[in-house]
Amino acid sequence: MTGIAMPLILVLLAIAFAVAMQRIGARTDATWPQRAPFLGGGLPETHAWQRFHVRYYPMTLLFIAFEMEMMFMYPWAVVYVETGPVALAEMGMFLGILSVGILYGWREGVFRWQ
Amino acid sequence: MAMNWLSALARGAEIPVFAVVGAQGLAPVEGLRHRPGLRLVDSPRHARVLLVAGAVDGAHKTALERLHAQIPTPRGTVWWQAAPLFARGQGVAGDDPLPAIRAAAGADDPDQRPDVPPHPWQGMGPHGQGGRGMMGGNPYGRPMAMTADDIRDGLALDVYNARFGPFLPMLPPGLVLDLTLQGDVIVSVSVVSPPFEQGMQGDAPDLCAARMLRLMGIAPRAARARGALLALPKGSGTRRRLAAWLRGQTVTERPSPLPEALPGLEWAEAVLWLASFLPSHLRAACMPRQAA
Repeated sequence: MTGIAMPLILVLLAIAFAVAMQRIGARTDATWPQRAPFLGGGLPETHAWQRFHVRYYPMTLLFIAFEMEMMFMYPWAVVYVETGPVALAEMGMFLGILSVGILYGWREGVFRWQ
Repeated sequence: MAMNWLSALARGAEIPVFAVVGAQGLAPVEGLRHRPGLRLVDSPRHARVLLVAGAVDGAHKTALERLHAQIPTPRGTVWWQAAPLFARGQGVAGDDPLPAIRAAAGADDPDQRPDVPPHPWQGMGPHGQGGRGMMGGNPYGRPMAMTADDIRDGLALDVYNARFGPFLPMLPPGLVLDLTLQGDVIVSVSVVSPPFEQGMQGDAPDLCAARMLRLMGIAPRAARARGALLALPKGSGTRRRLAAWLRGQTVTERPSPLPEALPGLEWAEAVLWLASFLPSHLRAACMPRQAA
């Protein structure tokens, strides 16, 4: 019984905490002009996240290329000895396909960073 | 009882004032900095009273109204030697605005701008994304962040376009710049409107030096030490000009046109560069662009 009740109480407490924080933190009295950043009288013609825009697409591509590679290499390494050269050829094809994605990401400048 | 005691304490506190400097307003506002009973703040967010010192061009009425609306309520307005551009607060013609500022600290002006979203959602596109394809488009009437050429290292990142001024405390009052920034580096500049006329008083060396030191965050007494000049970026002449002002000499160098001089500088460097020239010379450098 306590095995179910304890997590349930914790979840309810977490929800109550989140709602309470939302109530405390919400500033609903700020008008629309006050919510705008101060540019000396002007109004920004850009979005708020403009300067923090992460380009997810190439980052995701790179992540999948390397992550998937490692994920399949572990089980592959277990069966490699008994399967032999067939496994080597299959992994070669798999890596070949993935490396096209890496090359594409390279061309898009995903490896360039200051 | 407790509230009376609290409000009595609050009355004795410094009044945070955001000063909008208009024409001929630079020297009078500089004189206000050392007055007890008020504190000049750098952002309307921290202000209680909006002080408009000197005449502001009617073209900047909307900007001034927006600034007024950005001061949190309750707010007050004082027009010091300035014709009111909108019917809020009271005017002062004399040399001392302090009584009027004290009176304004008890006022509660209503909003001057309508409380509506500046860029309302105009659901466009098949998925409400505002544009076509994976990039681009104009959600909420504003363009998406896009990459552009970089003049520093060729690393094409998202550019930031914005219009700065006319009442930004770190820029000369009245100057409106359309800037394109890559991070902090200025890529392109166009002058939308020149700084206000400040007259002979605005060109006084001690006043110019004080303004520059304030931008650097250095106290005037510390500026006597040689290290203060080393805090300035090398090679742009800002050190030479600040040293001249600290000696009490007038700077005779004139700025080159802003669209040629500013690109390549970082924001903080550019702000110091602009502050290192006489307000009258800077105004003159911005004027021909304006006429053309």
